[in-house]
Amino acid sequence: MAHQAHSYHMVDPSPWPIFGAAAALLTTSGLIMWFHYSSTTLLTMGLLSMLLVMLQWWRDVVRESTFQGHHTPTVQKGLRYGMILFITSEAFFFLGFFWAFFHSSLAPTPELGGQWPPTGVKPLNPLEVPLLNTAILLASGVTVTWAHHSITEGNRKQAIHALTLTILLGFYFTALQAMEYHEASFSIADSVYGSTFFVATGFHGLHVIIGSSFLTVCLLRLIKFHFTPNHHFGFEAAAWYWHFVDIIWLFLYMSMYWWGSC
Amino acid sequence: MYYKFNGFTQRLVGAAASTAYNPQGLKPIVSTESPALVFGTTTKLASDLPATDSFLGKNQVPDLQKLFQSDSKADGLPVHLKRGVPDKLLYRTTMALTIGGTIYCLVALYMASQPRSQK
Repeated sequence: MAHQAHSYHMVDPSPWPIFGAAAALLTTSGLIMWFHYSSTTLLTMGLLSMLLVMLQWWRDVVRESTFQGHHTPTVQKGLRYGMILFITSEAFFFLGFFWAFFHSSLAPTPELGGQWPPTGVKPLNPLEVPLLNTAILLASGVTVTWAHHSITEGNRKQAIHALTLTILLGFYFTALQAMEYHEASFSIADSVYGSTFFVATGFHGLHVIIGSSFLTVCLLRLIKFHFTPNHHFGFEAAAWYWHFVDIIWLFLYMSMYWWGSC
Repeated sequence: MYYKFNGFTQRLVGAAASTAYNPQGLKPIVSTESPALVFGTTTKLASDLPATDSFLGKNQVPDLQKLFQSDSKADGLPVHLKRGVPDKLLYRTTMALTIGGTIYCLVALYMASQPRSQK
Protein backbone atom coordinates (compact mmCIF):
# COMPACT_ATOMS: atom_id res chain seq x y z
CA MET A 1 0.00 0.00 0.00
CA ALA A 2 1.38 3.47 -0.89
CA HIS A 3 2.30 5.74 2.02
CA GLN A 4 2.13 9.50 1.75
CA ALA A 5 5.35 11.53 1.98
CA HIS A 6 3.67 14.59 3.56
CA SER A 7 1.76 15.40 6.73
CA TYR A 8 -1.48 16.62 5.14
CA HIS A 9 -4.76 14.70 4.96
CA MET A 10 -6.03 13.70 1.52
CA VAL A 11 -9.65 12.87 2.36
CA ASP A 12 -11.68 9.99 0.93
CA PRO A 13 -14.19 10.95 -1.79
CA SER A 14 -17.27 12.31 -0.02
CA PRO A 15 -20.81 13.17 -1.11
CA TRP A 16 -21.45 15.70 1.65
CA PRO A 17 -20.23 18.89 -0.07
CA ILE A 18 -22.54 18.51 -3.07
CA PHE A 19 -25.44 17.28 -0.91
CA GLY A 20 -24.84 20.31 1.31
CA ALA A 21 -25.01 22.61 -1.69
CA ALA A 22 -28.27 20.95 -2.74
CA ALA A 23 -29.61 21.40 0.80
CA ALA A 24 -28.80 25.11 0.58
CA LEU A 25 -30.71 25.30 -2.72
CA LEU A 26 -33.74 23.57 -1.19
CA THR A 27 -33.66 25.79 1.90
CA THR A 28 -33.44 29.08 -0.01
CA SER A 29 -36.04 28.18 -2.63
CA GLY A 30 -38.11 26.70 0.20
CA LEU A 31 -38.14 30.13 1.84
CA ILE A 32 -39.44 31.60 -1.42
CA MET A 33 -42.21 29.00 -1.66
CA TRP A 34 -43.15 29.71 1.96
CA PHE A 35 -43.16 33.50 1.63
CA HIS A 36 -44.97 33.72 -1.70
CA TYR A 37 -47.04 30.55 -1.99
CA SER A 38 -47.57 29.52 1.68
CA SER A 39 -46.04 26.06 1.06
CA THR A 40 -43.56 24.63 3.56
CA THR A 41 -42.72 21.32 1.84
CA LEU A 42 -39.54 22.48 0.14
CA LEU A 43 -38.33 24.37 3.22
CA THR A 44 -38.83 21.30 5.41
CA MET A 45 -36.93 19.13 2.93
CA GLY A 46 -34.14 21.70 2.85
CA LEU A 47 -33.74 21.98 6.61
CA LEU A 48 -33.93 18.21 7.04
CA SER A 49 -31.30 17.51 4.39
CA MET A 50 -29.11 20.28 5.85
CA LEU A 51 -29.31 18.59 9.26
CA LEU A 52 -28.48 15.16 7.77
CA VAL A 53 -25.49 16.54 5.85
CA MET A 54 -24.10 18.34 8.90
CA LEU A 55 -24.48 15.24 11.09
CA GLN A 56 -22.76 12.94 8.62
CA TRP A 57 -20.04 15.36 7.52
CA TRP A 58 -18.93 16.13 11.06
CA ARG A 59 -19.35 12.46 12.06
CA ASP A 60 -16.85 11.67 9.30
CA VAL A 61 -14.40 14.32 10.60
CA VAL A 62 -14.53 12.62 14.01
CA ARG A 63 -13.93 9.25 12.34
CA GLU A 64 -10.98 10.59 10.35
CA SER A 65 -9.36 12.19 13.40
CA THR A 66 -10.13 10.21 16.55
CA PHE A 67 -10.48 6.79 14.93
CA GLN A 68 -8.14 6.95 11.93
CA GLY A 69 -5.51 9.35 13.31
CA HIS A 70 -5.28 11.60 10.23
CA HIS A 71 -5.13 14.86 12.22
CA THR A 72 -1.39 15.49 12.39
CA PRO A 73 -0.12 18.77 13.90
CA THR A 74 -0.02 20.17 10.36
CA VAL A 75 -3.67 19.30 9.79
CA GLN A 76 -4.61 20.74 13.16
CA LYS A 77 -2.83 24.00 12.34
CA GLY A 78 -4.96 24.29 9.20
CA LEU A 79 -8.11 23.67 11.23
CA ARG A 80 -7.06 26.38 13.70
CA TYR A 81 -6.58 28.90 10.88
CA GLY A 82 -9.94 27.84 9.46
CA MET A 83 -11.84 28.34 12.70
CA ILE A 84 -10.23 31.71 13.35
CA LEU A 85 -11.05 32.90 9.84
CA PHE A 86 -14.64 31.69 10.20
CA ILE A 87 -15.11 33.50 13.52
CA THR A 88 -13.59 36.63 11.96
CA SER A 89 -16.13 36.45 9.16
CA GLU A 90 -18.92 36.17 11.74
CA ALA A 91 -17.54 39.24 13.50
CA PHE A 92 -17.89 41.17 10.22
CA PHE A 93 -21.42 39.84 9.87
CA PHE A 94 -22.39 41.37 13.21
CA LEU A 95 -20.43 44.53 12.40
CA GLY A 96 -22.97 45.21 9.65
CA PHE A 97 -25.89 45.11 12.06
CA PHE A 98 -24.08 47.31 14.56
CA TRP A 99 -23.43 49.77 11.72
CA ALA A 100 -27.14 49.82 10.92
CA PHE A 101 -27.96 50.43 14.58
CA PHE A 102 -25.57 53.35 14.97
CA HIS A 103 -26.60 54.81 11.59
CA SER A 104 -30.20 55.07 12.79
CA SER A 105 -29.63 55.85 16.45
CA LEU A 106 -26.91 58.53 16.27
CA ALA A 107 -29.06 60.77 14.04
CA PRO A 108 -32.72 59.86 14.70
CA THR A 109 -35.01 61.13 11.92
CA PRO A 110 -38.10 63.33 12.39
CA GLU A 111 -40.26 60.27 11.71
CA LEU A 112 -38.94 58.82 14.96
CA GLY A 113 -39.62 62.05 16.85
CA GLY A 114 -36.00 63.16 16.53
CA GLN A 115 -35.00 61.04 19.54
CA TRP A 116 -33.66 57.61 20.43
CA PRO A 117 -35.44 55.54 21.65
CA PRO A 118 -38.12 56.77 19.23
CA THR A 119 -41.27 58.41 20.60
CA GLY A 120 -43.64 55.84 22.04
CA VAL A 121 -41.05 53.05 22.33
CA LYS A 122 -40.52 51.79 25.87
CA PRO A 123 -37.16 49.99 25.85
CA LEU A 124 -36.30 47.03 28.09
CA ASN A 125 -34.69 47.96 31.41
CA PRO A 126 -30.99 47.11 30.98
CA LEU A 127 -30.57 46.53 34.72
CA GLU A 128 -33.12 43.72 34.87
CA VAL A 129 -33.04 40.48 32.77
CA PRO A 130 -30.40 41.78 30.29
CA LEU A 131 -27.96 42.29 33.18
CA LEU A 132 -28.66 38.79 34.45
CA ASN A 133 -28.02 37.49 30.93
CA THR A 134 -24.68 39.30 30.91
CA ALA A 135 -23.71 37.63 34.18
CA ILE A 136 -24.82 34.24 32.85
CA LEU A 137 -22.67 34.46 29.72
CA LEU A 138 -19.65 35.75 31.64
CA ALA A 139 -20.01 32.87 34.10
CA SER A 140 -20.27 30.42 31.21
CA GLY A 141 -16.98 31.79 29.89
CA VAL A 142 -15.40 30.93 33.23
CA THR A 143 -16.87 27.42 33.31
CA VAL A 144 -15.74 26.62 29.76
CA THR A 145 -12.21 27.71 30.70
CA TRP A 146 -12.45 25.50 33.79
CA ALA A 147 -13.47 22.61 31.53
CA HIS A 148 -10.46 23.26 29.27
CA HIS A 149 -8.03 23.20 32.18
CA SER A 150 -9.62 19.98 33.44
CA ILE A 151 -9.10 18.37 30.03
CA THR A 152 -5.41 19.40 29.84
CA GLU A 153 -4.92 18.04 33.37
CA GLY A 154 -6.53 14.73 32.46
CA ASN A 155 -9.40 15.15 34.92
CA ARG A 156 -12.31 13.70 32.95
CA LYS A 157 -14.94 13.85 35.69
CA GLN A 158 -14.34 17.53 36.46
CA ALA A 159 -14.23 18.39 32.77
CA ILE A 160 -17.64 16.77 32.29
CA HIS A 161 -19.06 18.71 35.23
CA ALA A 162 -17.66 22.05 34.01
CA LEU A 163 -18.79 21.57 30.40
CA THR A 164 -22.27 20.48 31.52
CA LEU A 165 -22.52 23.62 33.64
CA THR A 166 -21.47 25.73 30.64
CA ILE A 167 -24.20 24.22 28.48
CA LEU A 168 -26.84 24.66 31.19
CA LEU A 169 -25.90 28.34 31.51
CA GLY A 170 -26.29 28.65 27.74
CA PHE A 171 -29.78 27.14 27.90
CA TYR A 172 -30.67 29.45 30.79
CA PHE A 173 -29.63 32.47 28.67
CA THR A 174 -31.71 31.27 25.72
CA ALA A 175 -34.77 30.65 27.90
CA LEU A 176 -34.53 34.10 29.50
CA GLN A 177 -34.08 35.79 26.10
CA ALA A 178 -37.12 33.96 24.74
CA MET A 179 -39.13 35.20 27.69
CA GLU A 180 -37.85 38.76 27.15
CA TYR A 181 -38.86 38.59 23.48
CA HIS A 182 -42.34 37.54 24.54
CA GLU A 183 -42.67 40.21 27.23
CA ALA A 184 -41.20 43.16 25.30
CA SER A 185 -43.67 45.98 24.70
CA PHE A 186 -42.28 46.58 21.18
CA SER A 187 -41.99 44.26 18.17
CA ILE A 188 -39.76 43.99 15.10
CA ALA A 189 -42.33 46.06 13.22
CA ASP A 190 -41.93 49.05 15.53
CA SER A 191 -39.83 51.35 13.34
CA VAL A 192 -36.12 50.99 12.81
CA TYR A 193 -35.73 50.52 16.60
CA GLY A 194 -37.53 47.19 16.46
CA SER A 195 -35.72 46.15 13.29
CA THR A 196 -32.21 46.82 14.57
CA PHE A 197 -32.93 45.40 18.03
CA PHE A 198 -34.57 42.13 17.02
CA VAL A 199 -32.37 41.39 14.01
CA ALA A 200 -29.13 41.92 15.95
CA THR A 201 -30.22 40.17 19.16
CA GLY A 202 -32.04 37.53 17.14
CA PHE A 203 -28.94 36.57 15.17
CA HIS A 204 -26.99 36.61 18.42
CA GLY A 205 -29.53 34.22 19.96
CA LEU A 206 -29.18 31.93 16.94
CA HIS A 207 -25.42 31.91 17.50
CA VAL A 208 -25.95 31.05 21.18
CA ILE A 209 -28.02 28.06 20.07
CA ILE A 210 -25.35 27.05 17.55
CA GLY A 211 -22.63 27.42 20.19
CA SER A 212 -24.64 25.42 22.74
CA SER A 213 -25.09 22.65 20.16
CA PHE A 214 -21.36 22.63 19.41
CA LEU A 215 -20.58 22.42 23.14
CA THR A 216 -23.11 19.60 23.57
CA VAL A 217 -21.40 17.57 20.84
CA CYS A 218 -18.10 18.20 22.63
CA LEU A 219 -19.65 16.98 25.91
CA LEU A 220 -20.76 13.74 24.24
CA ARG A 221 -17.27 13.27 22.77
CA LEU A 222 -15.68 14.08 26.14
CA ILE A 223 -17.81 11.39 27.81
CA LYS A 224 -16.78 8.93 25.10
CA PHE A 225 -13.06 9.50 25.76
CA HIS A 226 -12.39 11.18 22.39
CA PHE A 227 -10.22 13.98 23.86
CA THR A 228 -6.68 13.61 25.19
CA PRO A 229 -4.88 16.17 27.38
CA ASN A 230 -2.74 17.24 24.40
CA HIS A 231 -5.17 16.85 21.50
CA HIS A 232 -8.71 18.21 21.81
CA PHE A 233 -9.07 20.80 19.06
CA GLY A 234 -12.82 20.21 18.61
CA PHE A 235 -13.30 21.40 22.17
CA GLU A 236 -10.99 24.39 21.68
CA ALA A 237 -12.90 25.43 18.56
CA ALA A 238 -16.19 25.24 20.48
CA ALA A 239 -14.70 27.26 23.34
CA TRP A 240 -13.41 29.95 20.92
CA TYR A 241 -16.86 30.17 19.33
CA TRP A 242 -18.50 30.43 22.74
CA HIS A 243 -16.17 33.26 23.83
CA PHE A 244 -16.99 35.05 20.55
CA VAL A 245 -20.72 34.73 21.29
CA ASP A 246 -20.08 36.16 24.77
CA ILE A 247 -18.16 39.15 23.38
CA ILE A 248 -20.87 39.93 20.82
CA TRP A 249 -23.40 39.96 23.66
CA LEU A 250 -21.24 42.42 25.63
CA PHE A 251 -21.23 44.80 22.65
CA LEU A 252 -24.98 44.31 22.18
CA TYR A 253 -25.62 44.99 25.85
CA MET A 254 -23.47 48.12 25.97
CA SER A 255 -24.76 49.65 22.72
CA MET A 256 -28.39 48.57 22.26
CA TYR A 257 -29.56 47.75 25.75
CA TRP A 258 -27.68 50.34 27.79
CA TRP A 259 -26.72 53.30 25.58
CA GLY A 260 -29.74 52.75 23.32
CA SER A 261 -32.23 53.00 26.16
CA CYS A 262 -31.15 56.39 27.56
CA MET B 1 19.39 31.77 28.16
CA TYR B 2 16.56 29.26 28.02
CA TYR B 3 14.14 28.75 25.15
CA LYS B 4 10.65 27.34 24.69
CA PHE B 5 8.61 26.50 21.59
CA ASN B 6 5.69 28.85 20.97
CA GLY B 7 2.98 26.62 19.49
CA PHE B 8 1.08 29.52 17.93
CA THR B 9 3.94 31.19 16.02
CA GLN B 10 5.77 27.86 15.60
CA ARG B 11 9.06 29.46 16.70
CA LEU B 12 11.52 29.26 19.59
CA VAL B 13 11.21 32.19 21.98
CA GLY B 14 13.12 33.14 25.12
CA ALA B 15 11.85 31.66 28.38
CA ALA B 16 12.59 31.67 32.08
CA ALA B 17 14.43 28.81 33.73
CA SER B 18 11.24 27.72 35.48
CA THR B 19 9.53 27.27 32.11
CA ALA B 20 12.55 25.38 30.73
CA TYR B 21 12.56 22.95 33.62
CA ASN B 22 8.79 22.36 33.23
CA PRO B 23 8.37 21.99 29.46
CA GLN B 24 4.95 22.57 27.84
CA GLY B 25 2.56 19.70 28.18
CA LEU B 26 4.16 18.21 31.28
CA LYS B 27 2.91 18.87 34.75
CA PRO B 28 4.34 17.46 37.98
CA ILE B 29 2.54 14.25 38.76
CA VAL B 30 0.20 14.69 41.71
CA SER B 31 -0.71 11.43 43.30
CA THR B 32 -4.45 10.85 43.31
CA GLU B 33 -4.23 7.64 45.26
CA SER B 34 -6.11 7.85 48.53
CA PRO B 35 -4.17 6.71 51.62
CA ALA B 36 -4.83 3.15 52.81
CA LEU B 37 -8.07 2.94 54.78
CA VAL B 38 -7.78 1.68 58.32
CA PHE B 39 -10.80 0.07 59.97
CA GLY B 40 -11.38 -2.48 62.68
CA THR B 41 -12.15 -5.25 60.18
CA THR B 42 -10.85 -5.82 56.66
CA THR B 43 -12.61 -3.60 54.14
CA LYS B 44 -13.20 -4.09 50.43
CA LEU B 45 -11.72 -1.22 48.44
CA ALA B 46 -13.31 0.15 45.29
CA SER B 47 -9.99 -0.42 43.57
CA ASP B 48 -10.44 -4.15 44.14
CA LEU B 49 -13.42 -4.09 41.75
CA PRO B 50 -12.86 -4.77 38.03
CA ALA B 51 -10.84 -1.88 36.63
CA THR B 52 -13.39 -0.34 34.28
CA ASP B 53 -13.99 3.42 34.64
CA SER B 54 -17.72 3.14 35.13
CA PHE B 55 -18.37 6.91 35.35
CA LEU B 56 -20.62 7.38 32.31
CA GLY B 57 -19.52 4.40 30.25
CA LYS B 58 -16.22 2.78 29.38
CA ASN B 59 -13.67 3.75 26.75
CA GLN B 60 -14.58 2.29 23.38
CA VAL B 61 -12.15 4.42 21.34
CA PRO B 62 -9.49 1.66 20.91
CA ASP B 63 -12.13 -0.73 19.51
CA LEU B 64 -13.43 1.92 17.12
CA GLN B 65 -9.87 2.74 16.07
CA LYS B 66 -9.38 -0.91 15.17
CA LEU B 67 -12.64 -0.91 13.24
CA PHE B 68 -11.83 2.19 11.18
CA GLN B 69 -8.18 1.40 10.58
CA SER B 70 -8.92 -2.10 9.35
CA ASP B 71 -5.92 -2.71 7.16
CA SER B 72 -6.74 -6.36 7.72
CA LYS B 73 -10.22 -5.84 6.31
CA ALA B 74 -8.88 -3.68 3.45
CA ASP B 75 -12.46 -3.12 2.37
CA GLY B 76 -11.58 0.02 0.47
CA LEU B 77 -14.75 1.63 1.79
CA PRO B 78 -14.67 5.44 2.11
CA VAL B 79 -14.98 6.76 5.65
CA HIS B 80 -18.65 7.74 5.27
CA LEU B 81 -19.63 4.11 4.59
CA LYS B 82 -17.10 2.38 6.82
CA ARG B 83 -19.61 1.10 9.37
CA GLY B 84 -21.70 -0.74 6.80
CA VAL B 85 -25.49 -0.91 6.89
CA PRO B 86 -26.39 2.07 9.14
CA ASP B 87 -24.06 4.33 7.12
CA LYS B 88 -25.56 3.12 3.83
CA LEU B 89 -29.12 3.74 5.03
CA LEU B 90 -28.35 7.26 6.20
CA TYR B 91 -26.46 8.03 2.97
CA ARG B 92 -29.30 6.80 0.76
CA THR B 93 -31.90 8.70 2.78
CA THR B 94 -29.86 11.90 2.42
CA MET B 95 -29.37 11.30 -1.30
CA ALA B 96 -33.08 10.64 -1.85
CA LEU B 97 -34.01 13.79 0.02
CA THR B 98 -31.52 16.05 -1.76
CA ILE B 99 -31.89 14.71 -5.30
CA GLY B 100 -35.66 14.31 -5.01
CA GLY B 101 -35.87 17.73 -3.43
CA THR B 102 -33.77 19.32 -6.18
CA ILE B 103 -36.08 17.93 -8.87
CA TYR B 104 -39.15 19.14 -6.92
CA CYS B 105 -37.45 22.51 -6.52
CA LEU B 106 -36.79 22.87 -10.26
CA VAL B 107 -40.41 21.95 -11.04
CA ALA B 108 -41.70 24.44 -8.47
CA LEU B 109 -39.45 27.21 -9.76
CA TYR B 110 -40.52 26.47 -13.36
CA MET B 111 -44.16 26.71 -12.36
CA ALA B 112 -43.55 29.88 -10.36
CA SER B 113 -41.87 31.47 -13.38
CA GLN B 114 -44.97 30.98 -15.56
CA PRO B 115 -47.06 34.18 -15.98
CA ARG B 116 -50.30 34.14 -13.97
CA SER B 117 -53.32 33.42 -16.14
CA GLN B 118 -55.50 36.54 -16.43
CA LYS B 119 -58.80 36.23 -14.61
